Amino acid sequence: MKIKGPKEFWAGLMFIAFGLFFLIGSQINYQMGTAVRMGPGYFPSVLGGILAVLGVLVLVDAFVEDGPKVPKFNFRPLVMILIACLAFAYTLKPLGLIGAIAALVFIGAFGGHEFKFKEVTILTVVLVIFSVLVFVKGLTLPFPIWPAFME
Amino acid sequence: MEIFSNLLLGFQVALTPFNLLMCLVGVLLGTLIGVLPGVGPVATIAMLLPITFNLNPIGALIMLAGIYYGAQYGGSTTAILVNLPGESSSVVTCLDGYQMARQGRAGPALATAALGSFFAGCVATLVVAMFAPPLAEVALKFGPAEYFSLMVLGLVAAVVLAHGSLLKAIAMVILGLLLGLVGTDVNSGVLRFAFNISELADGIGFVTVAMGMFGLAEIITNLEHTETREVFTSKVKHLWPTKEDWKRLWGPVLRGTFLGSALGILPGGGALLASFGAYTLEKKVSKYSHEFGKGAIEGVAAPESANNAGAQTSFIPLLTLGIPSNAVMALMIGAMMIQGIAPGPQVMTERKELFWGMIASMWVGNLMLVVLNLPLIGMWIKLLTVPYRILYPSILVFMAIGVYSLSNNPFDVFLMSIFGLLGYVCVKLECEPAPMILGFILGPLMEENLRRAMLLSRGDPMTFIQKPISAGFIIASVILLVIIALPALRKKREEVFVEE
Amino acid sequence: MMRRALAALALFSAAAAACAQAWPTKPIRLIAPYAAGGPIDISARLIAPKLQEALGQPVIVENRPGAGGNIGADLVAKSAPDGYTLVIGAIATHAINPWLFSGLPYDPIKDFRHVALIVQVPNVLVVNNELPARSVGELIALAKAQPGKLDFASGSTGSTGHLAGEMFKLMTGTYMVHIPYKGAAPAVADLMAGRVHLIFDNLASALPNVKAGKVRAIAVTTRQRSAFLPELPTLDESGLRGFDMTTWWGVMAPGKTPQAVVERLHAEVFRALESPDVRQRLRAMGSEVPAVRTPEAFTAFVASELKTYGDLVKRSGAKPD
Repeated sequence: MKIKGPKEFWAGLMFIAFGLFFLIGSQINYQMGTAVRMGPGYFPSVLGGILAVLGVLVLVDAFVEDGPKVPKFNFRPLVMILIACLAFAYTLKPLGLIGAIAALVFIGAFGGHEFKFKEVTILTVVLVIFSVLVFVKGLTLPFPIWPAFME
Repeated sequence: MEIFSNLLLGFQVALTPFNLLMCLVGVLLGTLIGVLPGVGPVATIAMLLPITFNLNPIGALIMLAGIYYGAQYGGSTTAILVNLPGESSSVVTCLDGYQMARQGRAGPALATAALGSFFAGCVATLVVAMFAPPLAEVALKFGPAEYFSLMVLGLVAAVVLAHGSLLKAIAMVILGLLLGLVGTDVNSGVLRFAFNISELADGIGFVTVAMGMFGLAEIITNLEHTETREVFTSKVKHLWPTKEDWKRLWGPVLRGTFLGSALGILPGGGALLASFGAYTLEKKVSKYSHEFGKGAIEGVAAPESANNAGAQTSFIPLLTLGIPSNAVMALMIGAMMIQGIAPGPQVMTERKELFWGMIASMWVGNLMLVVLNLPLIGMWIKLLTVPYRILYPSILVFMAIGVYSLSNNPFDVFLMSIFGLLGYVCVKLECEPAPMILGFILGPLMEENLRRAMLLSRGDPMTFIQKPISAGFIIASVILLVIIALPALRKKREEVFVEE
Repeated sequence: MMRRALAALALFSAAAAACAQAWPTKPIRLIAPYAAGGPIDISARLIAPKLQEALGQPVIVENRPGAGGNIGADLVAKSAPDGYTLVIGAIATHAINPWLFSGLPYDPIKDFRHVALIVQVPNVLVVNNELPARSVGELIALAKAQPGKLDFASGSTGSTGHLAGEMFKLMTGTYMVHIPYKGAAPAVADLMAGRVHLIFDNLASALPNVKAGKVRAIAVTTRQRSAFLPELPTLDESGLRGFDMTTWWGVMAPGKTPQAVVERLHAEVFRALESPDVRQRLRAMGSEVPAVRTPEAFTAFVASELKTYGDLVKRSGAKPD
């Protein structure tokens, strides 16, 4: 058995995993009910089963048909961008919009190809001013502007 | 002709300087929040409600309505320029609109969206004016069985959205359906797949998924390509659609307008299907179906017309029955009640000036929007010449703020990151997110209506076939399924023969 | 010893009073535990500017929706009891959810000071026009004649509409099928179209269609008749003795908030409620000025509601998990 279509292979595995997760999860935790009074487990069980079967079909395809390779994962932008978003979310309350935007822009910029400190700093300032004017002043979102310790 | 005197009354109301101003404020604000990803009309209207307490009722409602359809215009701008669908209706606009932008055809794409929306808005406003009461009766004919069958048709159509493997597209639809089920089960109240995280009790938000799967995944993928630094071609060919474009445009716009007007009437999620349905239809009837997903102008024209038409006709159940078809309409009901207007059938007879004034203002607002948006295209295109290393952190900031503001909770941003990761994996494995998103939107609606229909029929599945409207949708689904499956099967058979 | 303790106590209460006098010195957050634009959010936004004016500090409404209001309520239960974080607590968060959700992270009585009840809306029993029943008596007879044939709709499982229906079933010994919807709007649409037979809907949303003759109201769920539909009998007077249900919500603060702050807040909230414009807007939402007039009475009210719904949720089997 040789994997001819790696993309299909991994996609198939992903679908099987998701399908089984929902199928088993709902079988363990929720009632199936009957067709008249469908329980909360009915719909997810059926769909999870279908998804797992589709996953198997995709997997079979991977052994039958030639397909392209899975392109390499480039972890730097992936990790940096995701961390940047999380940094924003969890620093907004303690550090205010100023701190959170700075965190997002600086970490996010590390995910790019070049990092120019001056440019990133200017961008941060511009974005902070814009966001404060539009979101806090204009749309009255209840965001703190300054870090909590400075208030 | 009563309709003319009514419309005349409407325009007299809508064209007073104060109401014109309110309309302008509404559409401007709507465009702004539409362009900003994540911040949607629901949040904005909710925050503006207290301000409207002190306005006169007509002016207030004209402004709120302006925000709603203004946001539809603005939303397509972000979808086309940076692949960020802020509204469920702009998901399909991303598919071809963003591809056009990358090929330096952002101008024609934006112009098509604006003009298509304007045309659709005009027609749909006329539909509202002439047929509102009888159409409301049609809307009432849709019960759980009819909605379920309509959703089935929508899901079958979702498969057409994909341009790669059919099998994977179906799997993605199912995955979307499953993810849509996370949260509190409507029928039993049980929390499903929430892992004791209370933030998941209300399910996963659409904006969160769309921002992650489309926006974040796109940014990460763009940053990967080390050799091509700029994402957009710097050569912008032209601002306006070419003669060739115009020829290809009008058919999709007409069909989109028709489909959008029809589906917009249904309060139980019909409007959601409008843009998806219009795209699917075009992909099936177009001579250029091979170009879909690679920057076909029909792929922008049809869904944009459909969604704006749907946005206008979704006022029908609100104005005639007092039934809101979506969250924005529910807010409008709140606004009316605060003003002492009981939303319901009497609005049309007892508050004529309000009913017709609003309808007339929709037309005025659409005109303002197109006048406003066409000159803006030049500016938007300039925006694309900004180096990507400046552009992407800015997009990230707007996304993060928008998603955070959904419920003032960091958890939504966390969830967006998870979907960013999933979206990235899907890009690598060539699994397309659009069918998944449609499944995600329709999943809960479908289950809800299925179970409700079964409860009402006391467990008799024949209910879906005995009701004529429902039966019609089921038959249409089967036919569509055959149309989709046949070419794929034939292709498979041909391949088999070749191998032999 | 005794004297020293007394002195300390006096000093302590003086400090508390001074603290309360100083309050508020910074912006106050008023958490609405539901999505923006709903009736609870709207009423929060109605009183916020009035409080701001009276207290001289910004009062910012913050929506913290999720888990039937539990997320927002829990946030305030766990906040510093300094009067700077308040919540709009409602029948769902403080009387129904404690029985509906297992492992609720807060105690609806101990973790809160119940400052002021602001809104009380009755529910109305509304039936489809085609249904032959024109009174509560006829409806009961109809339900008894065809057990399990009638459907009653509600905005969600565990909502007041659902529980009112269950209460009705219990008290009359009838059986009707509960059809839950996602929000009252689609339920009302199906009621109008005749796919479901009856619904216990809140007065404000039911009123327009009742007045337009699209559906028929046959009773109100409160003990007293409603000023909005004075000719409509109550369920209580129609033979269901003791039937009394309203949807309510009010301002609450964390459990250990100083008495002085609570009293000041209570006074200001009531002043806001009595201002003509707020009153008029709340009336438009179907609410009459609540009869519960002190923080202590509010606490007692919440406790009695909590007990009522505890019994009801248990007996109706509405509990999801």
